Amino acid sequence: MMDENSNPVYTDQRYGQSRELLYSYEKDGNYEKTVGFHNEADRITIQQAWDHFNERIAIAREKVLAGKASPIVYFMEKNLVDTLTLSMLAGISLWRVKWHFKPGVFKRLKEKTLQKYADAFNITIEELKKVE
Amino acid sequence: MVKLEFEHRQAGHCENGVTSNLLNYHKFKISEPMVFGIGAGLFFSYLPFLKMQHAPTTSFRVWPGMVFDRTTKMLGIKTRVHRFREPRESMTKLNEVLEQGYPVGLQVGTYHLPFFPPEYRMHYNMHNLVIYGHDNGTYFVSDTLMERLVEISYDDLMRVRYAKGVFAPQGRMYYPIHVPDNIDIKPAIIKGIRKTAYNMVGIPFPLIGAKGIRYLAGRMRVWEKNLGPDRAAYYLGQVLRMEEEVGTAGAGFRYIYGAFLEEASRVLQQDWLREMSVEMGENANQWRAFSYYGSRNCKKRGKPEQSYDFLADMLLDCADREEKIFKKLAKIK
Repeated sequence: MMDENSNPVYTDQRYGQSRELLYSYEKDGNYEKTVGFHNEADRITIQQAWDHFNERIAIAREKVLAGKASPIVYFMEKNLVDTLTLSMLAGISLWRVKWHFKPGVFKRLKEKTLQKYADAFNITIEELKKVE
Repeated sequence: MVKLEFEHRQAGHCENGVTSNLLNYHKFKISEPMVFGIGAGLFFSYLPFLKMQHAPTTSFRVWPGMVFDRTTKMLGIKTRVHRFREPRESMTKLNEVLEQGYPVGLQVGTYHLPFFPPEYRMHYNMHNLVIYGHDNGTYFVSDTLMERLVEISYDDLMRVRYAKGVFAPQGRMYYPIHVPDNIDIKPAIIKGIRKTAYNMVGIPFPLIGAKGIRYLAGRMRVWEKNLGPDRAAYYLGQVLRMEEEVGTAGAGFRYIYGAFLEEASRVLQQDWLREMSVEMGENANQWRAFSYYGSRNCKKRGKPEQSYDFLADMLLDCADREEKIFKKLAKIK
């Protein structure tokens, strides 16, 4: 079934830095605690989440560069948040956040609203306006 | 400057570990599985309407804060819990409590935690840690996920305590202030087991407990058809991440719960609980096998390696096992 001993070294810098306490159950009815790294199966799922996020960031970036979405979309994906969380972070209602995703609307935004987004993303307004 | 003599013990799950370590500081020895069992932490719910990181939420445990609240209440330990509207006020209160000689448990968001492993740095507001001292704007942290003790600055700490979003911590801090001398742990264990059994098989709602596992299995069969292979794999991955990654110590807390049943059988001197713990261990291994086979579908490929029907059948097996176990456990005396 499960190969507990397989623990290949991960070359990606983001993985396998910290050791955690894991419980396991042996056939003889004893539970064991081990401090170790997650095994291969768990790493695949974590990797999947990061691949998913990176893909979303790349798509958002292309959309913004093509002029189909406002930079808010890109920074939202870059900060790994969804629309609802962004509205909570910035303190702007959900439907207004969605409205601001249009590039034309974004250009007309007031300084005050821009500042709210900039604070939510922890950047300046100048950085918010340009996506490279 | 305050630095309390706090013993850091690594734990499988943050809130159990924090509760167990805090009580340990007050000279009440209690293990992590014991806290988890008494606090009735084991749970299952599948909430398709609540999206987390673009996929339905699956939860293997009760809401954050409940394990600490229930455990201390059932053991008759006096505690204090605070939430604040004003961030600076919460930091002043934290210093005050530390100076009185109590280590403090905090609920924080993980996204801005500087010492947190980078692979987990997503928006997750239900992490718990202990502050056991401060010195000139630096706070000493015992985070049960980490092997060693760490430090955090005033600004960073304030930021993570006021992380926004779903389940925002709002500066929640909690600490035991008085532990009675002779605590009888036995009735608390029995109550904890009854509560868990009720949560798993007693609630008449289809998304919770063993019924919830069956419901998830049913949905899983149609994922590929309804969502396409990519999103189906991502949805499956989300279930597996909630099961294995976010501080569950493996198999969605089933291992910890099994260890608790084993310990409970020794404390209560009821041998049938030992058999239950063996069944729980086998059930946990089945969950582990599920995540092992499931993870093969999460690799980047055109076609999934395991069919979703096969995985759903494994889940149904788990649901049957858990229903059997908790129906028996509900009769505990």
